[in-house]
Amino acid sequence: MKKRYDYIIVGAGVAAATVARGLLLHKHDTSILILEAGPEIKAKDRRFWWDYITRNERPYTFTYDQKFEADSTGNIEYQTDGVRVKAYGGSTMHWGAWSLRFKPEDFNLHTNTGLGADWPMNYEDLESYYNDAESFLSVCGDENENWSPRSKPYPVPPFQWTAADGEMIKAWEQLDVVYQDGDINPGKSSKIKSGKMPVARYRKCMTTGTCKYCPIGGRFNAQYVLDDLKNDPRFINFEVRINSPVHHVNVSSKSKIESVTFTDNLNGKEYTVAGETIILASGAYNVPKLLRASKNEFWTDGIGNDHDLVGRFVVSHSMLNVVGKAKTNPNGWFQEYDFPTLMSHSYNTKEHQKKGKIFIFKNRATPNTDIAQLMIDGKTREEIDAIVYGEMEVNIQAFLEEKGKFSNRLEARPGVDRFGLPQTTVHFSRTDEEMENANDRLKLLEQIIEKMGLEITSSRVDKPGGHHTTGTARMGTAPENSVTDKFMRVHDTDNLYVCSNAAFPTGSAVNPTLTLTALAFRLVEHLTNSEKTTETSKKIEWKYQL
Amino acid sequence: MIGGSVCNEQISASLIFAEGQQLTYENKEALWEIFEAIGETWQNTIYNSNNQRSSWFEMLKAKTENAPNYTGEYVNAIYVLNELYAEYGKKESFKKLFFESGVDNSAPPTTRLAHCKVFVINEFIRMQITAGGFKSWGDANGGEQAKNYHGFLGGTRYNRTPRVRAFDDDPVHSKK
Repeated sequence: MKKRYDYIIVGAGVAAATVARGLLLHKHDTSILILEAGPEIKAKDRRFWWDYITRNERPYTFTYDQKFEADSTGNIEYQTDGVRVKAYGGSTMHWGAWSLRFKPEDFNLHTNTGLGADWPMNYEDLESYYNDAESFLSVCGDENENWSPRSKPYPVPPFQWTAADGEMIKAWEQLDVVYQDGDINPGKSSKIKSGKMPVARYRKCMTTGTCKYCPIGGRFNAQYVLDDLKNDPRFINFEVRINSPVHHVNVSSKSKIESVTFTDNLNGKEYTVAGETIILASGAYNVPKLLRASKNEFWTDGIGNDHDLVGRFVVSHSMLNVVGKAKTNPNGWFQEYDFPTLMSHSYNTKEHQKKGKIFIFKNRATPNTDIAQLMIDGKTREEIDAIVYGEMEVNIQAFLEEKGKFSNRLEARPGVDRFGLPQTTVHFSRTDEEMENANDRLKLLEQIIEKMGLEITSSRVDKPGGHHTTGTARMGTAPENSVTDKFMRVHDTDNLYVCSNAAFPTGSAVNPTLTLTALAFRLVEHLTNSEKTTETSKKIEWKYQL
Repeated sequence: MIGGSVCNEQISASLIFAEGQQLTYENKEALWEIFEAIGETWQNTIYNSNNQRSSWFEMLKAKTENAPNYTGEYVNAIYVLNELYAEYGKKESFKKLFFESGVDNSAPPTTRLAHCKVFVINEFIRMQITAGGFKSWGDANGGEQAKNYHGFLGGTRYNRTPRVRAFDDDPVHSKK
């Protein structure tokens, strides 16, 4: 290990992989050290895969926060266990690979509604980077969709709607989009529009539905990118250290970040390494904790925390769930993929923004019959047939956008986890109005289930969870309203960046990973100050190393 | 009670220790009879189980050549089967195992019979379904047969051939 690097990146997930790759492709001998607190979990391992198939065991779950390591306070429980993978590759070890762009109105939430925050950029500023990200992740999508303006088609064609999607699509085609109290009614009625879920297929995805642990490296996993970088002989100054939690970011002045201090978990020794530029890419949980832990004479409350904003404005998605039941399932339908194929942005629009946009999709696993479990339970073929063609459950779900509030905060609590990272407390409450809005939105889903002719058996707003946590070190225009500037550089520093969901000022109603990847591409361009090169041109170079 | 002293012998619920051990050819052939019997019993395979034989061998290899080693469980299953065969004959033995074992699948297995059911029979069933044994469902009422299942590996990266039963009104990709 060197004592000084051009770049030190904390974390080894999709943001770190994207940034490291971009920097190395720009200049091959750039020295980069990635420090990952967690271990390496073997990918594409046949034994792991068979254990997943036969026993539903996944090899990365031991890295999850345990319930007793991550609690919450407030008027609603915030789920923090089981939501993030602390390992080489980060949460791409377990993600669903849904890859959706934010919509233009998401970047102007406060301007449009008086709530939450604006981004210090517009959708148009990020659009070309979305193209890069979609190309990098091989996102499949519908070339005919027009949910968000796009200058390039999806690089890979979409998955089909499954037969089981059909009844919901037909219901949507009969239903006008509803505007509830608090929405802006544009005046002209339109039907709910069906869309195909964009999913990152990466290199070899064979569309098989074994996504929680892929045996062939099909679903995108940041591990693969980092492995390629490590094995490429051109990148002689690229290093990754696993089992190396960073505890402190060190400064030599208010603006100059000098180094980071980490522990090698395997030998117990502490090391300090210097970097010209430090990039915190360790997620919306770890980044604020690390910033606040990094106190010094210049930053007495932690780096970037002069205005007490680090860790605040935490948002995630609330999941809305409505389940309906049909008396029969004559075609024996079940959702044949392990991810949803049907979705709609019809309620994810500017008109619905103030009350709370929702992104709706048919649940990834309904209808479903666990045929193997029925056999294990000793059901005969005749009994299984009766179940397969009998009652059918369909679940429609939606992510509800939430607005960041100053009082909602994620912070460290005493004690560390098995990897030496600080434990977590999330202070999170919803207002009565937010609760009412969520319940109102639930009625929109109930209407769809009823239009399908199903009996509603369950309708609920799930507790918020950390899967899509954003906002804890948000971007903005000034230190008084944010932690970083529009390039994700911590205010009043020269060389400390946050490349994480933490930097998102808002969480939109869709999954954050594609937007994070786009921001990582944008950060690479900012750091290298290069002319914008397209992903296609990079791929020409890339093919020589793969 | 379906078995005798072998089936009912009390043993630890944890995986039978077998590090460093390996299956013999005869062991594998004896285990294959279980796998075949699953397909015959539920009629859920195309023709018979033979088109899944290479996948099944690959699973056995992965489960016995990597820790934790399943060889002890597999050999235990053979002990159990041999006792049942002697008592009931092969066909009836499988019927007893699949439908009348009395084993609680969600409880820790504390007998040789329970180990056989939980670590071998149940896992072989899951393997057979996810290797293609789901494809006999869907068409009982004239509909289309299922094409895909959680855990099934098949298909191509491109959508030239539908990998699932697709929604017919999809103008682009739903051609059967």
